[in-house]
Amino acid sequence: MTNRDEAMISPKFGNVPKLSARRRQGRLAVAADGWRRWWPYYVMMAPGILFFLVFHYLPIWEARIAFEQVRIVPPNIWVGIKHFQVLFSSPVFWQVLANTLIISAMKMVFFLPVPIIVALLLNEVRGGSLRKFIQSAIYLPHFLSWVVIAGIFIAALSPTDGAVNNLLGMAGMAPRSFMTDTGAIRWVLVFTEIWRSAGWDSLLYLAAIIAIDQQLYDAAEIDGANRWQKIRHVTLPGIVPTIATLFILNAGMFLNADLNQVINLSNDVVRSKIDIVDTYVYRIGLQTGEYSLATAAGLFKAVLGTMMIVIAHFVSKRLTGKGVW
Amino acid sequence: MALSRKTPIERIEYAIIVSTLLLLVVVTVQPILNLLAVSLSEPAKVPGMSGLTIIPRGFSFEVWSVLLQHPNVQRGIFNSIFITAVSTVIGVVGTALMAWGLSRPGLPGRKALFILVLVTIVFEPGIIPDYFVNKRLGLLDSYWSVILFKAVNAWYLIILIRFFEEIPKELLEAAELDGANPFQVFWHLVLPLAKPALATISLFYLVFHWNEFFRAMIYLNDQGKWPLQVVLRQFVIDGDKVAIVGANNASNNTGASQIDLRSLKAGMILLTIVPILAIYPLILKFFTKGTMSGALKG
Repeated sequence: MTNRDEAMISPKFGNVPKLSARRRQGRLAVAADGWRRWWPYYVMMAPGILFFLVFHYLPIWEARIAFEQVRIVPPNIWVGIKHFQVLFSSPVFWQVLANTLIISAMKMVFFLPVPIIVALLLNEVRGGSLRKFIQSAIYLPHFLSWVVIAGIFIAALSPTDGAVNNLLGMAGMAPRSFMTDTGAIRWVLVFTEIWRSAGWDSLLYLAAIIAIDQQLYDAAEIDGANRWQKIRHVTLPGIVPTIATLFILNAGMFLNADLNQVINLSNDVVRSKIDIVDTYVYRIGLQTGEYSLATAAGLFKAVLGTMMIVIAHFVSKRLTGKGVW
Repeated sequence: MALSRKTPIERIEYAIIVSTLLLLVVVTVQPILNLLAVSLSEPAKVPGMSGLTIIPRGFSFEVWSVLLQHPNVQRGIFNSIFITAVSTVIGVVGTALMAWGLSRPGLPGRKALFILVLVTIVFEPGIIPDYFVNKRLGLLDSYWSVILFKAVNAWYLIILIRFFEEIPKELLEAAELDGANPFQVFWHLVLPLAKPALATISLFYLVFHWNEFFRAMIYLNDQGKWPLQVVLRQFVIDGDKVAIVGANNASNNTGASQIDLRSLKAGMILLTIVPILAIYPLILKFFTKGTMSGALKG
């Protein structure tokens, strides 16, 4: 709208008489002129726009099967919220939802502080090449797929020849099969998440630390502050907005407990402990073929997730000035 | 000079800080180096090898040579390279063209298009509707299902728009006054100026597509089209021995079946991350810069 207003006051149209009929013609002329000027951009954007419409909006339209009975011979029958009723009365679904929330909460509590600590430590390292070496090593896992990471950890956690159990053995403890241990598997998720992303995420905090005004450190130095006092009174307050933003945004993603991670670290023995909404949708949908029920579960998660992330965005914007987009 | 002023306590503190970080480095890298050691050991000596060692027992390329000669692995390498290359090119071109239009403040319908993109970030109806769209378009079981599906990434698009917006307006206006049309401005002015940003999102796409496995797993039934990640999953996660040593070798005791499964798995995992390691210096350069500047600006 503002674009058109801007175009209207451009000198080209300065001498259009103020008659209503003329004005309407003028508006058409503006539109035509706008099109003459802007069509090349739309030609260039066409493939991208088409991708978004076909691969993001067509699925939203296809999601209507959550409200339909799928029949082998089309058309499907509209059944309203029947599948949602089935879903909400299924104990498995509530178990899966609880798992999702528990895993997200565990990750939030135990993952989030790690990159902050790593960034604080990294910031203390003075040697440029030592720091670069540490960074290069700890960023690497972020760029590996979950299939690879699962492979690495299945090996490292092996009860017979995995590094972890070798260490436990040296300490005189009995080997433990972490991957098939219902008490341990959620911690495996938390730890692999830390292994994969804590290093990389520290970069976000490090960027915030570097942006802190050097004069604050100089002033603290003059006041005789030691390392820990500087961290407590200058560095930490300086990165509080970043911490708050990432905390809130993580809260917004609470229902995304990471399909790729779970699907690769799961197995029949521990499934009940780490089955999340996404893996449940995959299993009952693509493996069992209950398309409508699976889509209903997916839609439930999508709608709730959208609400959470939009709220998180505005809360974050309000409190820290930074949002999701 | 500066060091000499440090008190002993400060030096101990520093030593603790550095050792903590070095411990982190060990925890990160050791599991990968252990797999490397296992895969390079003489297969007969692998059983009983500790998970803590990073030195091979004996030295042999046998595991790697068995893997690289395996038809499934060869297909996987080809498929991964093909899918990654084509989808990265399509993604970068589509993203750059769309970002150029969306970075122009006067574009009619700009706000609507932004909303169109943002909605896709916050609302995703899930994998079943995606699957049905693929089915409806006849893409299932074809490379195109993995290549085309969601080829333009909304986040990367936003990164590129932000970058294009920072190109000085005067430059663009001068080019327009000289009579250059939007295509020419894009090709001769915007693209050369945006090289670092384009390199960054190309790497984003490259890493993303190389690591993609879920969509390939659900859209491609034909094993001959599986990328390396899906082959790896079938072999390492699902523990499908026949898939890797071959149906003929699985029952008798010849060739690949004699090699300890553990070393084949280790080699397979490493094989899949070789390309990531190869471009890792570039990743460090561009990802780090991109993330840092994004965080600073945000």
